[in-house]
Amino acid sequence: MSQLYNSIEPNIIDDEMVQKAVEEQCPEDIEKLVKREGINFKDVTELQLSFRNILQIDNLWQFENLTKLKLDNNIIEKIEALASLVHLVWLDLSFNNIEVIEGLDTLVKLQDLSLYNNRISKIEHMDTLHELQIFSIGKNNLTTLEDVIYLRRFKNLRTLNLSGNPFCDDEQYMLFVVAHLPDLVYLDFKLVSDTTREVAVLTYQDHTKPLEHEEAQALAQLEENQAKQKELEYHKAAFVEYLNGSFLFDSMYADDTEAAKLAHLPGVGDLLQAYRKEFVSVCENLFNYGLKEYEKREAEVSDFYESLHEALTANQQEGRKIILDFENRNKRTLDEIHHASSYDIAESKQAEYKEDILQLSEALMTLEMLISDQLEEPLKEFKRNIAVIASTFIENVKGMMTQCRDLENRHHEKLLEISITTLEKSVKNELDEDLPDDVRMLLGDKTTIVNAVNASHGSRLLKIDKRESDILSNTYRWQASVTEKIFQNEIDRNRDRVKEIVQYIDNLQEELDNTEILELTK
Amino acid sequence: MDILEEKEEEEQREGEPKGLKIIILPELFLAYYLCLSASLCPGSDFDWSSIDTSQLPSSYKTNSLKEKKLLHVAEHFLRQYTHLCPDRKLLFLHPVNECGVEKFVSTTVRPTLLPYTELYHWDGCASFVSDYLTMEPLKSPITPPSSLYSPTTILKYQRGNCFDFSVLLCSMLIGAGYDAYCVHGYATREMCTLDKTLELCPLLRDPQERQVPKKGMKKSNKYRVKPPPDLQSKFELQQEAKKKAEIEAAQENKEREEEKVMEVEKCKRDPLYGLRVHAWVLVLSGKRGVPETFFINPFTGSSHSTMDEHFLGIESVWNHRNYWVNMQDCRNGCKDLAFDLGDTIRWEIMLSGSHEPLQLLPDAEEEKELPDRDMDRQEKEEEDMSFDMPPSWVAPIQITPREFETRCSQGRKVILYKKAKLEKWAPYLNGNGLVKRLTVYADWDCAEVVEVKEWFKNREDMLDRREVNKQTQLTTEYFSPGHLLGLKAHTYTSLEPETEHTMEFYSEARVDGLQKRVKNAKEMTEYFVGRDDFLHVRHIEFRKRGKKIHLAGTRTEINSQPIAVRQIKECFHRNLEKPADEDVAERIFLITDNMIHLTYHLKDKYITASKKDFYKETESDRKGNEIFMTPGMCTTYQAGSSEKDKKQLHLYKLLQELTKEEKWLKQQVQQSEAEVLNILKICENEESAVKLSVSIYNTERNEKRRQHYEAVEQDLDYLAPFLIQIGHREKVTKAQALRVRDECLTDLKHRLIDKANIIQARFEQLQKKNQWFQKNRNRLSAEEEDDFLTRYSESASHIHTIALRLNREKQTASQKYLALEEKLRKDPRLAEHLGHA
Repeated sequence: MSQLYNSIEPNIIDDEMVQKAVEEQCPEDIEKLVKREGINFKDVTELQLSFRNILQIDNLWQFENLTKLKLDNNIIEKIEALASLVHLVWLDLSFNNIEVIEGLDTLVKLQDLSLYNNRISKIEHMDTLHELQIFSIGKNNLTTLEDVIYLRRFKNLRTLNLSGNPFCDDEQYMLFVVAHLPDLVYLDFKLVSDTTREVAVLTYQDHTKPLEHEEAQALAQLEENQAKQKELEYHKAAFVEYLNGSFLFDSMYADDTEAAKLAHLPGVGDLLQAYRKEFVSVCENLFNYGLKEYEKREAEVSDFYESLHEALTANQQEGRKIILDFENRNKRTLDEIHHASSYDIAESKQAEYKEDILQLSEALMTLEMLISDQLEEPLKEFKRNIAVIASTFIENVKGMMTQCRDLENRHHEKLLEISITTLEKSVKNELDEDLPDDVRMLLGDKTTIVNAVNASHGSRLLKIDKRESDILSNTYRWQASVTEKIFQNEIDRNRDRVKEIVQYIDNLQEELDNTEILELTK
Repeated sequence: MDILEEKEEEEQREGEPKGLKIIILPELFLAYYLCLSASLCPGSDFDWSSIDTSQLPSSYKTNSLKEKKLLHVAEHFLRQYTHLCPDRKLLFLHPVNECGVEKFVSTTVRPTLLPYTELYHWDGCASFVSDYLTMEPLKSPITPPSSLYSPTTILKYQRGNCFDFSVLLCSMLIGAGYDAYCVHGYATREMCTLDKTLELCPLLRDPQERQVPKKGMKKSNKYRVKPPPDLQSKFELQQEAKKKAEIEAAQENKEREEEKVMEVEKCKRDPLYGLRVHAWVLVLSGKRGVPETFFINPFTGSSHSTMDEHFLGIESVWNHRNYWVNMQDCRNGCKDLAFDLGDTIRWEIMLSGSHEPLQLLPDAEEEKELPDRDMDRQEKEEEDMSFDMPPSWVAPIQITPREFETRCSQGRKVILYKKAKLEKWAPYLNGNGLVKRLTVYADWDCAEVVEVKEWFKNREDMLDRREVNKQTQLTTEYFSPGHLLGLKAHTYTSLEPETEHTMEFYSEARVDGLQKRVKNAKEMTEYFVGRDDFLHVRHIEFRKRGKKIHLAGTRTEINSQPIAVRQIKECFHRNLEKPADEDVAERIFLITDNMIHLTYHLKDKYITASKKDFYKETESDRKGNEIFMTPGMCTTYQAGSSEKDKKQLHLYKLLQELTKEEKWLKQQVQQSEAEVLNILKICENEESAVKLSVSIYNTERNEKRRQHYEAVEQDLDYLAPFLIQIGHREKVTKAQALRVRDECLTDLKHRLIDKANIIQARFEQLQKKNQWFQKNRNRLSAEEEDDFLTRYSESASHIHTIALRLNREKQTASQKYLALEEKLRKDPRLAEHLGHA
């Protein structure tokens, strides 16, 4: 009894257990080494935690680089705390008490997943596992054969185990699965024969055809959306998104109730049409100009980076050459110092070498200074050019926006005129048209209608202003970021290089010093 | 005859022929020179008078009516010509043939297309003619020959002068559809005597250096960094460069002058310059897609531009249809000649109406306006209009495959070039497959050999070419793809394994991607291409071998000795899947020092490469796996990161891996060594017993194959199925014999009927289809129309073929039946019962 009790004593993965497991799987020859140094969990790539009566998964977040994890033959009830193991390729959760597939969304590299002998009743929550090749979900509680259709999304799935589920008793089970997963090679540990496949395809033609059609459509839809998204990204990068059409114009009128009412006044419809046309054409101009400017900006930036890259590559080669020369020259020096026949010779050689190292350091530093000097001017030039490009762009955008505003002002004046004449007519009761009540309300007195028209005008101007300021601020941001980036890059590069040189020289020095000690102890 | 002509010639010298350069020579010298050159003629030992003409067809021996008329016309033409141009040489119009009968030159041209693909193109024809015939000089270098033999006779005896060469080549070219003409004219001595000793061998000419298209000048970029100030004096540099250039120029001049002197010595001025008669072939542009008019020198088979300075003048040209006389000034050689044969001012045509040359430009009107022609001639010409060139009297030209393959007479040919000798052999003539040998000499007298190049064909070891440089003693052998070990080229001084060898391989044919291996006693370098592990160079240094091995002697023992390797160095290309400082660029195993150096690839923008050096402690190494990692065993330098001490565990694993790798590499080196020995052995064996491969389609050579075929054919017993039905075959009763016969015959009948039926069925089917096409033709759209037309023509030709087959089947069926009956009667197994029946 006590044994039984012991055997079902539930455990939670804790540090101690993990530590033990890691140590256990070390090969003997490096055990001592491991013990001496300790283990960094980040370096562990495989971990086996089988037969440990684990009830709850925990404390695995440190194993960032784990690719293979075995948690079979435990009493786990819920898949959890695995989200950080993003490099996992192999996951074994067989012989547990899991009821729901979940918590696997981040494991996108997973290729082999075993959920054999659990209590799962539905295949779900696995949409992100695109790489899945082997999937074992035998001896579970799957009852509806249609669940298998879910597996169609895994284009790499070749091996599948479903045996021991309730739906396997269905005599159509085999054919159904094969028909719906045409790329499957092994099903329930057996090779899928060509004849089976043919029969299956024939039997379930009516089922699979519409499915395929649907999938194709979905794919096309997705691609279309992606293309659209891409184009929008492009427009956004040019700061002129949604300007190729009437978006801006429509948005100006979007929640303007006054304008909607005013539109009912006689003659306003035509006016609006004309206004809309002109406005949209200005927007189009702006849009095209924006795209053109975007290309120009990109060309400027890529020009700069090309030259920068060229200069840096030349510099790198130069530096490399100096170092290789040095290394070839001094390949045997340390040995010679080490095996020098007398102390004096060793001493002199050492001094020589030291001098050489010093010279190398000097040469490399000079080179670095040179390139840093050389780069200064192009950097400044680039900054100037970017500023010029940005300011011209802003100028022109402003000009076009002013056009928009002019159009709006003109439209406003005309609208006002129409409103007033209509008001006068209505006062004189000469109005022929039948107008909705709320519009009639507007025609009550002059102040009301003028206010309404003005309010509508104000809101539209505001929209235009906002769009303009959007473009401008984006441009400023771009200018700042590009300029800052190149300067920051240059600073970083310079620092890195100096650091590298210093380190290399230090390393050489250290080597020399070590040799010296060896020689003296002799 | 000759002497007479010579005299004439000398007399004519006063009035210089129109097309020739004026050369005044003492008459005596000329006569002397003529005698000299006649006596010097090589290969003139063949006696043409001894040839057998009795077997030739009658057309060779007599002239037909038409031919006689033609000769008459020619005579008339010649009379007028000499009257008009008294100062020009006689035309080459109707020399006698081998039977002593006068034949007009155009009728000697016999257009023939020979059934060899090679002879469908002009270069193939030309090289065949130049190879196949042996050149004979003209009896007198300044007059055309008195006779012109038929191409068939020339082919039979495989020798001839330039006129014979040209007529044969012209016949073949016209047969192949070219617009070709024989040319009678004047050329330089080298041309006429086939003296190529001043010419560079075409095989030695530098392959035209392909100009690598330079990348378009990099667009000037405003962001280009300014170069650091150059503190060197430019003036000094310039001065230095100038000096250098001067010295170089001086040297070059010297060399050039030397060369010139040599050349001048060699080619003394030719006293007969401009007088030497030559015949060659002119190919006009137009037909067969020839873009430009050109000459072919029949002796060499090479093409020349019409501007070539070796051709000094043209008297006349002819093809199988007509004869044209050149009326243009040849003072500048052939440079200024226009080859528009329709131009009657420039080219006087003989049979004006019979055939216009391809280039139809000028016209009759112009002709009438010509002021310098008298009425008489015009009338004559008009008369001639109706006259047609009679067909050639020459029998069809035939070349057997054997002759075609053998090429040169006795299958061997030697050509002397400038400082070089080229020998050619027919394939299979030499036991070692040698087909070509080029010997290059250092001097003009061809005494000191510089280089020998040999070409092979049909070798079973795929040896293609061997070059021996006599100065460096280096031998290079080139192999075609398909060698046992993928060998491509092998350079060596001797086949001894201890000497230096450079072997190149077809890397794509090898699993290890080995491209080249250079090996000598001290070191070996292997170059790889396209490997998965990005290895591209492996360099191995050997320790000096002890004397023991040398004493041990035989090669096998060296083989068994472990090779003492001192150092192995491997270089890798960048593997982009790994970060740069984990991707090894170079690793050096210092085996004697128990050290391993690793150098990694450069990180982006870094100038120092990460490094790891391992020092293996020898003692622990010997115990096998029990190497303990101690911090002293490894020094690392990590570029760009402050000595982040990696765990010893990693280093330990790395070291273990490297140790394994080292062992494997040692084995690899052994294998490479063994392979080298193996190759050398194979090479030696192959050289000592050369085998030539014979294509299975070559029935003439492939004796075995032919026998096999014949055997198969004979073994088929047509009576077997019927005899088996009877059972015991030893004795056949009469009744059985009759039964067998009847069965056999009925079987054949059935088969014939079946066959006929099948053909009939197909025929009807196709006809039906055709009818359908015709009915529906109107209803088809334009697109379908095209499709329909092609298919219609296809099916029409099908129907035609099938109808033919059906007819033939009907005709032959009864014959076949009778033949079988006869055969059965004579069959030994049935003969005794059926013989009398």
